[in-house]
Amino acid sequence: MWTTLTSEASDARNRASVISRPIRIGREVLLLIALGVLVAIFASQSEFFLSERNLTTILRNSVDLAVICAGMTIVIILGGIDVSVGGIVAVSAVLIGRAYQYDMPDMVVVPIGLAAGAALGAMNGAIIAKSRVPPIVATLGTMYIFIAVLFLVIGGVWISGLPNTLSFLVLGEFLGLPSGLFVIGAIYGLSWLMLRRTPWGQRVVAIGCDEHAARLVGIRVDRTKIQAYALLGLFAGLAAVLYVARLRNVEVNIGTNIALEAIAATILGGANIRGGIGSLLGTLMGVLFIKMTQNGLVLIGVSSLWETVVIGGLLIVVLVLDALETRRTS
Amino acid sequence: MKDPLTQRMVFLTGLLVLAGVAGALLSPHFLQGSTVGYLLQYVPVLGVLGMAQTLVMLSGGPGIDLSVGATMSLVGLAIAAMFGAGVPLLLACAVGLVIGGLLGAVNAVLVCVLKVPSLMGTLATFFAYSGLALALTGGAPIGGIPDWFAGLAQGRFLGIPVHMWVVFVPLAVVLHVMLSRTRIGSHIYAAGNDERAAFLSGVKVWRLRFGLYCLSGVIAGLAAIMTLSWFQAARPDAGEGMELLSVTVAVLGGAHIFGGIGRISGTVLAVLIVTTLQVALQLANISQAWQLAAIGVLLIGSVMADNAVGDRLRAAARRAAS
Repeated sequence: MWTTLTSEASDARNRASVISRPIRIGREVLLLIALGVLVAIFASQSEFFLSERNLTTILRNSVDLAVICAGMTIVIILGGIDVSVGGIVAVSAVLIGRAYQYDMPDMVVVPIGLAAGAALGAMNGAIIAKSRVPPIVATLGTMYIFIAVLFLVIGGVWISGLPNTLSFLVLGEFLGLPSGLFVIGAIYGLSWLMLRRTPWGQRVVAIGCDEHAARLVGIRVDRTKIQAYALLGLFAGLAAVLYVARLRNVEVNIGTNIALEAIAATILGGANIRGGIGSLLGTLMGVLFIKMTQNGLVLIGVSSLWETVVIGGLLIVVLVLDALETRRTS
Repeated sequence: MKDPLTQRMVFLTGLLVLAGVAGALLSPHFLQGSTVGYLLQYVPVLGVLGMAQTLVMLSGGPGIDLSVGATMSLVGLAIAAMFGAGVPLLLACAVGLVIGGLLGAVNAVLVCVLKVPSLMGTLATFFAYSGLALALTGGAPIGGIPDWFAGLAQGRFLGIPVHMWVVFVPLAVVLHVMLSRTRIGSHIYAAGNDERAAFLSGVKVWRLRFGLYCLSGVIAGLAAIMTLSWFQAARPDAGEGMELLSVTVAVLGGAHIFGGIGRISGTVLAVLIVTTLQVALQLANISQAWQLAAIGVLLIGSVMADNAVGDRLRAAARRAAS
C-alpha cells in the first residue's frame, strides 16, 4: 500500500527484475564493510569485544529482534509495514507470564504465546486487507490497543521470578555453539525457503511489486496479506517466548522500541518500504549492526546513548547511497 | 452534508461532546471552570505538531514526518544551551526556530531531492536527532530558564493558557487561511490529490513539499519553545512518542495518509478529543489503558468509516452519471 501513485516505469522494471534476481549483492557487501569497520573500531579499543564470551552475549541479545525482523522483512517486501510488533510481543509475553503464574507447563505456555502472536498478527492483516486501512494507520491503531491490553493485564507491576525451563533456547549450548545461533538459523532458513522457494513467496513479492497487477492475475491478495501479517505475529510471539526464557520476567514497558528498531534493521538490510525489494540476509546483518553497536559502545567506554546516533547516521548514509545509485542507473 | 470531510467534522464534534459528557459522568471534578484551563494546558504542544504532520501529509508523496518529536527535543536543548552560553533568550529562540527549519531541511533533501520514501527518510532522521539529543546531554535536562519566560506556557489570560492565545490559535488560523484561501493552499491539495496532474498544470510539486518539511521543522521548534517555557528546562526526551501521537491526531482529524484530503480544523478537534479523554480519565483516576484503547479504536474505526462513506458516495456518483 505504501506505493507512490506515479511509480516510474523504470522503477517498476527495476523492481520486477528482483523476482528473478532475489539477492542484491551491493547492499550486503556494503553492510559487510560497515560491520567490518564497526568490529575493527570496537576490537581495537577493547580486547574484550572479540572474546567468545562477548560475542555470545551479542548473539543472545540479538535473538528476539532477529526473529521479529525475519517477519518484518516479509511484510515490508509485501508492501506493508507493522508498527505494532512491539505491542504483539508485549501482549504475548504478558500472557506467557500469567500462564506460568498459574503453574501451567511449558507444553501449554509456549503454544499460548505463539497462538496469541499469530492471532494478533492475523487481526492486523485482516484489518489491512479487508477494510483497506493503510497499514501504518491500522497497526498504529492496534498498537495502542495492544499496549492498553498490556496495561490492563499487567496492572503496572512487573511479572518476575518466572521458571527457567526454557532458558536453554537462548542461553544454552548445542554442539558446542550457542543455541541462539540455531534458533536464528532455523527461522531465517525457514523464512528464506518460504519467500524464495515457494509459490507463496512469489505471491508476496508479486503483491509488493504491483498489488493491482497481482490481483488481476488471480492472486488472492487479501489472503496472502493476512498470512504474511500472521507470520510476523507468530514470530513476534516466538520472540516473546525467547524474551521470557532469557530474562525470566516481563517488564511494564516491554516492547517500547521494538517496532522502530525492527523497521530500521530491515531498511538497513536493503528492504524498500515501497514493497517488492528486501533481503533476509541483509536484514540479519542490519540486526547484527544494531546489536553490535549497542554492545560495543559500552565496552569502549562511550555512553550507550550514542547508539541511536550511530544507527540513524548509518541509515541516512545507506539511504543517500541508495538514492544516488538509483539516480545513476536510471 | 454530502461532503465526507464535513461529515467528519460533525462526527468529531459529536465525539468531543461525548468525551466531555463521559468526563462529567466519570468525575465530579470535571465540570469546573478550572478544568478548561487545565485541559488546554496540554493542547498546544501536541496540537502544533499535529498541524505540522497534517501539512506534510496533505501534500502527498505519500508524506509523513516521523522526526517532529526528535526535532522538538533537539531544538529545545539547543535554545537552553545557547541561553546557558550567554545568548539572550529571545534571540536564542529565534535561532532555535532556524535550527528547526534546518533539521526539517535535512528531511526535505532526503525526501524531495533524493526521493527516499518519507517513512524511511524521516525514520532515519528520527533516530539521528533523538540519539543526538540524548547523547549530547548525557540524558540530563538543561535547566535555568528564567521565571519571566515561564509566563508563555504557565501564565493564564482570561483563564486560558497564554500559549493557547499567542501560539496555538494564531498558527491554526494562519494555516487554515493558507490552506483554504491562498494559492499555496490549493497547490498543496492539488499535489496531494494527483501529483502528475498538479505537475502538468504548473505546480512545482517537489519544491512545495520541500518547503512543507522545512515548515514542519520550524513548527516543531515552536513546540520546543512552549515546552521550554512550561517546564523551565529542556529535556532530551521532551518529544518522545510525539511522532506517532502527531500522526494519530492528524489521521483522526481526517487527514488522508496518502495526501490531498484533510483540514486544520479536523486536527484541532482531534487534539481536543485526545486531550479531553486524557484529562477526564486522569481526574476520574481510571487507568490510562482505556485512553490508549479508545484512541486505537477511534483511529482504525474512523478510517474504516471514511472508506465506507467514500464507497457509497462514489457509487452514488456512478449511478447519477449513468
